[in-house]
Amino acid sequence: MEKILDKFKEFCMQPYDRAVEWKDAEPNRKVIGCIPMYFPEEILHAAGVLPVTLYGSDEPITMGEHHLMNNACHQVRSTFDSLLKGKYDFLDGVAALHVCDQVRFFLEVWQLDHPFPFFHEMWRPYRLDNTNRPFLTSELKRLISHLESFTGTEITIEAIRNSIGIYNESRYMMRKLNDIRRERPGIISASDMVCTVTSSMLIPREEHNQLLRELLSRIDNVLTPEDQRFKMVIIGHLCDAPDEGLLNLIENEGLSLIDDDFITGGRYYAVDVNPDGDPIESFADYYMNMIPCTTYHYVDCWRGDSDKYSPYADYTIDMLKKGQAAGIVILRAMYCDPFDMEFVLLRERLKEENIPFLALFIEKGSGSMEAVRTRVQAFVETL
Amino acid sequence: MRGDGMITAGIDVGSTTTKAVLLGKDGIYSYSVQATGIDIPEATEQVLGESLAQANLSFEDIAGIVSTGYGRISIPFSSQTITEITCNAAGVHHLFPNATLVVDIGGQDSKAIKMDKKGRVRQFAMNDKCAAGTGKFLEVAAQTLRVDVEELGKTSLESKNKITISNTCTVFAQSEIVSLIARKTEKEDIAAALHESIGSRIYGLINSVYPEPKAEIVLTGGVARNIAIVKLLERMTGRMVMVPENPQIVTALGAAILARKVN
Ligand code: SF4
Repeated sequence: MEKILDKFKEFCMQPYDRAVEWKDAEPNRKVIGCIPMYFPEEILHAAGVLPVTLYGSDEPITMGEHHLMNNACHQVRSTFDSLLKGKYDFLDGVAALHVCDQVRFFLEVWQLDHPFPFFHEMWRPYRLDNTNRPFLTSELKRLISHLESFTGTEITIEAIRNSIGIYNESRYMMRKLNDIRRERPGIISASDMVCTVTSSMLIPREEHNQLLRELLSRIDNVLTPEDQRFKMVIIGHLCDAPDEGLLNLIENEGLSLIDDDFITGGRYYAVDVNPDGDPIESFADYYMNMIPCTTYHYVDCWRGDSDKYSPYADYTIDMLKKGQAAGIVILRAMYCDPFDMEFVLLRERLKEENIPFLALFIEKGSGSMEAVRTRVQAFVETL
Repeated sequence: MRGDGMITAGIDVGSTTTKAVLLGKDGIYSYSVQATGIDIPEATEQVLGESLAQANLSFEDIAGIVSTGYGRISIPFSSQTITEITCNAAGVHHLFPNATLVVDIGGQDSKAIKMDKKGRVRQFAMNDKCAAGTGKFLEVAAQTLRVDVEELGKTSLESKNKITISNTCTVFAQSEIVSLIARKTEKEDIAAALHESIGSRIYGLINSVYPEPKAEIVLTGGVARNIAIVKLLERMTGRMVMVPENPQIVTALGAAILARKVN
């Protein structure tokens, strides 16, 4: 198991090496970078393209700052920095779903300043209900025809269904791994869990599935000593992959992270796409059934006497109860406004329900780990 | 061995000063405060040695030691390390058993703590990332104004004209002070503006722990001696501010109290 986890870690450390290798192995192979979150990778896969998700990097941002406001979130600034440093030169295109205004604006700058052969922005209404479902399906159709004209080949329904199957299997295995972590805390560290999920978005999915299958077949033989730490769920950090060092610090200071809602975690594998039926409708369902997310607008929030209504808080509290966790660690990515807005409601609910929580303001590459350590230790002392 | 095994020590290694408190059955035996400097083990040995000498005790008389503060892990002889947040709350609870709200302004960090009537921490907030709203901010400002930092508070109370310092960043505020001096602004007015700036940072910190509406503030840390800050916080928050006799050693005292339990 260790060996497979090390492999996942290697993929995360050299995020694009495998994609470049894959591309160079045969002529005319294409790699498209996806901006997190929620881009329908299956459709790219069905077009024979390798999708890789572009998480920025931990490097100091030395070029990205000049092109964007410095109150853009780290994920956006760091991705732009990587672009300017030439790290995405191997890509044939970029695809993104508009999860928030920051993504939208930075893509506009990207497209103007650094056009790629394929550039696709997909609109997902912030508020999803049956009135705007036709718009969402038209966006999915637009993506398919754009890809078809880019690759010169038709994307058949069978191909999409096949890809959905491969991605569903991937999600299923990740869910299974997470269930095991919830039942046997300490069997896999939070940082290994994040690497497992993140690496799936960097290499051909079939290869990742093979590794994950092997990992699951061996996990039953792994012994875990009794975990004395407090069980916690960890949430937030929207589009960025959380820092490995930070997760290790939290776990080393007496908290055992047993579940999360990261996009490099629970959020990514929570919902499957229906493999039968019309794929377009299945993807529309996927977006409509997504677990509560701060980049969605819920009509009933902030309205009259239901101003405390927060599906996100409900979801988080359910996660806590399911894992019988003692509390919640919240990673607030600096300058992520969708999360900050929701945080207000979430905090109120957690206080009302007397749920211990620790909210940490995180900006990758800045701030002192020692200051974080003090906060984590102090939180543990209150439990 | 003296003290019936009840003597405990608390050592608080802060970014600016290191404090030791020796606690016996009937209260504080002695305490000592020193600059932390770069050699933390040496500073802690000195403060502890001095406190022991004052109380006429030896190291063997101590039943337990808890270290706290940002340098807490570098102390070889402590029985346990506990964060300054928990220690500070324990110290305040000992001195003010009914207190539920503490503000501690130290050299490089400041914090607000909400606790229950038993002295247990319920919520806390610390200044994020930089020295704005801490003792360091005042220290740098005092140097730039060429006023002794101890006097800065009194100086600010002499202010006649209200001006504002827009920068809360310590480094940028320094250049703002320089340009105010160049424009011949009275140093009293600059000092008052600096206090306003630090006060609003602290006020924000207090609000983020959602204190009980009428809770009084216990102000601790070296900066609590600054009378201008006390008045300012009273005015801004509309709460009463209480300052212990030795605000600087409250966290070390809390550590010594917790050392009783560790033992
Ligand atoms: S949702 Fe938050 S983290 Fe994601 S791109 Fe927008 S601001 Fe950044």
